[in-house]
Amino acid sequence: MGFFMDGLDAEAYDRSYKDSQLVKRIISYFRPRLRLMLTVAVLVVLGSLLDAAFPILIARSIDMLQSARAFQIALLLVAFILASGALSWVFNLFRQWFSARAVGDVVLQLRRDTFNAVMSRDMSFFDEFSSGKIVSRVTSDTDKFATVVTLTLNLLSQILLFFLIAGILLVRNWHLALLALSIMPAIVLVALGFRRLARSSTQRSQRSLARVNANVQEVVSGITVAKNFRQEQNMYDEFKKVNEQSYHVNLRAGYLYNGIFPVLIALANIGTTIVIYFGGQDVFSHNISAGDWFLFLQSIGLLWLPLTSIASFWSQFQLGLAASERVFALLDAEPRVRQIDKQPVTHLSGKIDFRDVYFSYDDRQTVLAGFNFTIQAGETVALVGHTGAGKSSLGKLVARFYEFQGGQLLIDGRDIRTFDLHDYHRHLGVVPQVPFLFSGTIADNIRYARPEASDEEVATIAQQIGNGDWLESLPDGLQTLVGEEGKALSMGQRQLVALARVLLQNPSIIILDEATASVDPLTEAQIQEGLDTLLKGRTAIIIAHRLSTIRHADRIIVLDRGRIVEEGSHEALMVQGGHYAQLYNTYFRHQSPDYKPGEGFVPVLIPARNESEGV
Amino acid sequence: MASRQEFTVTGEYVYNRASPTRWIVSHFLRYKRYVLAYMLTAILANILINSFIALLTGAAFDAVSRDDASGRSVLLRITLSLLGVVLVGVLMDLGARLSSEIMGKRIARDARNELYLSLLGKSQTFHNRQRVGDVMARASNDMTSLSDMIVPGFDIIFDSFLSIVVVVTSIAFLNVQLLLAPLLFVVAFLFALRRYSRKLNPVSDAMRAQFGTTNAVLNEAVAGIEVVKATAQEAQEQRKFGENAMRYRDYFVKSGQIQGRYLPTLLVAFALAGAFLHALFLVTQHQISIGTLVAYMGLMTILRYPTYISIWTFSLVQLGTAGAERILKLMKEETELDENESGYRAEMRGAIVFEHVTFSYGNTPVLKDLSFHAEPGQTVAIVGQTGAGKSSLTKLVNRIYDVDAGSVRIDGIDVRDWNLDALRSQISTIEQDIFLFSRSISENIAYGLGQKADEAAIKQAAQDAQAHKFIQGFKDGYETVIGERGVTLSGGQRQRIAIARALLTDPRFLILDDSTSAIDSATEDEIQQAIRRVLQGRTTLLITHRISQIRWADKILFLRKGELIDEGTHDELMARCEAYRRIFSHYEPPTAVQEKVASGPLSKEGVL
Repeated sequence: MGFFMDGLDAEAYDRSYKDSQLVKRIISYFRPRLRLMLTVAVLVVLGSLLDAAFPILIARSIDMLQSARAFQIALLLVAFILASGALSWVFNLFRQWFSARAVGDVVLQLRRDTFNAVMSRDMSFFDEFSSGKIVSRVTSDTDKFATVVTLTLNLLSQILLFFLIAGILLVRNWHLALLALSIMPAIVLVALGFRRLARSSTQRSQRSLARVNANVQEVVSGITVAKNFRQEQNMYDEFKKVNEQSYHVNLRAGYLYNGIFPVLIALANIGTTIVIYFGGQDVFSHNISAGDWFLFLQSIGLLWLPLTSIASFWSQFQLGLAASERVFALLDAEPRVRQIDKQPVTHLSGKIDFRDVYFSYDDRQTVLAGFNFTIQAGETVALVGHTGAGKSSLGKLVARFYEFQGGQLLIDGRDIRTFDLHDYHRHLGVVPQVPFLFSGTIADNIRYARPEASDEEVATIAQQIGNGDWLESLPDGLQTLVGEEGKALSMGQRQLVALARVLLQNPSIIILDEATASVDPLTEAQIQEGLDTLLKGRTAIIIAHRLSTIRHADRIIVLDRGRIVEEGSHEALMVQGGHYAQLYNTYFRHQSPDYKPGEGFVPVLIPARNESEGV
Repeated sequence: MASRQEFTVTGEYVYNRASPTRWIVSHFLRYKRYVLAYMLTAILANILINSFIALLTGAAFDAVSRDDASGRSVLLRITLSLLGVVLVGVLMDLGARLSSEIMGKRIARDARNELYLSLLGKSQTFHNRQRVGDVMARASNDMTSLSDMIVPGFDIIFDSFLSIVVVVTSIAFLNVQLLLAPLLFVVAFLFALRRYSRKLNPVSDAMRAQFGTTNAVLNEAVAGIEVVKATAQEAQEQRKFGENAMRYRDYFVKSGQIQGRYLPTLLVAFALAGAFLHALFLVTQHQISIGTLVAYMGLMTILRYPTYISIWTFSLVQLGTAGAERILKLMKEETELDENESGYRAEMRGAIVFEHVTFSYGNTPVLKDLSFHAEPGQTVAIVGQTGAGKSSLTKLVNRIYDVDAGSVRIDGIDVRDWNLDALRSQISTIEQDIFLFSRSISENIAYGLGQKADEAAIKQAAQDAQAHKFIQGFKDGYETVIGERGVTLSGGQRQRIAIARALLTDPRFLILDDSTSAIDSATEDEIQQAIRRVLQGRTTLLITHRISQIRWADKILFLRKGELIDEGTHDELMARCEAYRRIFSHYEPPTAVQEKVASGPLSKEGVL
């Protein structure tokens, strides 16, 4: 039975699927479990019948006594009562079991489907949705999806019970029945009213609690500073204030939550009192028997709690539908990257051709317009330019993370859209700006792309990165655990692991987005050496942020607003005094070992450009 | 409290921290009046609602069966009494629930204050041992468990217990023989309940844990999707997720099975049937009236409710106690350093000596036999790989840690002999992760001086730190609030504010961990100029990633695995240390263009 105060903290959500569509699709997920579900439905009906039978049987027994009939018949009735109680329990047992199985299976299937759907989305999807939202769709929205069905079944049982009993009461004595039932609307209204009040107060208390926790977080993080500057007393005073505020908000919310049951119970008891008085009168007037009077009394006791569930059904049902909608929206989302063929990719030499390529993210900003460019196999190309010039887009298009809108992109002379993407990706090595590690050991991470690699292969590869001495500074060498997202390692160490991973993968094309985070000089040297190893003999597109990288590249491409404005070697471009010189002054000047603040500028021979233009 | 604290508040309430139970009880005892009020109203409410109503109903039955004129007036009287009982009952009930609410929330509030105070009193060592995430989890999650344990946990348990007592007593009051069924039921119920929770709890725990694991796998796959796609490992992730989701499903089904077999429901049915039978028998024997039977059945049905709700509340109590234990453990941890009231105090000159310093962090050796010295005003750059011991070294200076062997001396006096306050007030640290408070910029800059700083001094410090320009760029200038509810600053901006903060307190000694990355050279110019300014006239231990910084330092310490491999100036090290040379190897000597620039008149924005 769904507790009637559930689901108060859900967010508002705009719905675009129709309720009927959603219900149909939800049912289709349950279709393979049809037999189970039907059994559950039957058990629900039988259970309600038995629950309704209980008070009737008792009432009959009392009447038997009143009319001084044989004790044995009363005994028989008691036997029936026992049997109905036991049967009801058995039915409930099976009902719980079967519905757990059905719901469990459906949710599992749904989770698998949504996970697969997520895995097959292209990168624009991940730009649009935060990972938190995605995760909640796969785990909690799928749960709520299933509750739609269980809610409905519960509703069925409760409505059935209600109508059975109400029917019997009305048949016995319609005017007393109406009196007894008169208290019901009051119960429903009170339940709904409390829900509404509690909802807004819950939101407020959640926000306030978040504030308190943020404050505690701040104190904990800033304790070193507080101690450094000896500000403990002030911190304590401030905390007490915030804590007190939160106390008041929580107390108010608690009053609401706790106040409801006494009120509802009181209403039910008032109903009982009404029945006692008017029912008693009716017994005096011989309109009903004492047993029936007892039946009326019991009915209130049986019905008031189910009534609250019926009252809250609709809004909980809507919440469930909203959750289902989010799940289906995920499953139905159109992939933006489409392959037109699935040709196998066995070997690539790594020649990349951009021909008249048009590309824009989400139709708002055009990044590339009629872009032409060729990279030879084995060449290392460094891309430089201001933010938004199109550097990362080039890499992402080659990686087929995003779809371009016009022109052609050829790899080894073949249209990139004809590849089996899976195959293609195996020949592609991507090192993102912030390297991501999976929780596990360093060795696990290095062999991620080729899980079947042996320990010796992993060790050999690790040695090839910068002389291998980076392993010495790790507590357990290759078996060191990296923690969630690699947090146990420093940024520099994570980069080294990412390089080793790609090296093991042995791709033909490398796309590297250099990290901008600063790294200690020794690790930096190891990374630079590691890059040397990695780039030898492979085609590489590097979005360069390091001075050493651009110096060692075969070719430097200077991009400005989606166009190539300069290209050449570092020395040649510096002398030209053009865009490159300007970029150097802005982004690379401070990386030189001879750098002093405000010095080291290279002469620029073109008119000074407003830096904020087009960025 | 026997433990030493670095910070205490006068007049704080002392709780008993011997064990979780005693601790919780000591919190309750602070509110004796509320506890009393709660018990009183709860008992009254229970008696009225559970017992009186049933008894009055029975009386009504008897009145009606008499079938004479007096019956009607009795009925009327009973009805009026019932209304009275309902009214007073609901008031008592509300009173009980509300006072338990107040108690629960107050205890949670008090516990939070207590934890906070305790955290402030702990040493820096303690805080470096804990991970912020852990402490936070305790502070929020465990507090919530604690609060939930009291309300609704204790409340419902007490209420259920009371219901059973009141019902049994009322039945005894009706007719002692009728006690047979309820007593048997209560005994059987308790056994069944224990058995049930023993079976369900491990499964619930496992289910919860498995949910967490499944979520973690999912989270990782989504956070690392770029890697997954780039390495074409979607199938691997799908398999991992599928296995975990399946295990969760299995626990879910098992839990549903166990819940379906919840015996107390069956026992209630048996008890009601048995009770009814017994009562019927007694009626036929004319030992009790029908009204008594009605009252009896009414009382028996009340026993339904404690059965449903109790399972859930036991787990609340379990969670709450576990939470209390964790919180207590945190609070009871000893701090090793104390304030050293009688220690040495003087104005520092800034000479520092490390002599044969050995230091281990727990069981891991960090520094081995390290010796060096620095004169007042010198900038010492510390170079080494991650884990080489750089930041540990700096933390020995202001006694965040103490050495295991050897000594650290400032101006010839061992740091352990200095008064802690005098020591720390003259040493400033600018760390890697700059922490700023969610307050105005000027409050952050003036943090060390409390209320004593004046505007002019703040502005001067900000100017020297190259922060004044960007601060003026904000709408509210120096009053701009930063942090979650305000403006977010970039790493470089935060660093400069921290530098301004340090300038204002004008310490003799500076520990600077400069590891921010500047994306552009113009910002780097400002930051480096600010750093230059703050290095002037102070002895500085500098941990930096900028090779240009290392190069211009007065002295360089090269650490490897906790040992000092070499020390000297840049030129000295380049000449004799190969490992040091490696750092600069990828940066080729200046090109012809730059040589021209360095010597010529175009040393600023060289536009012709």
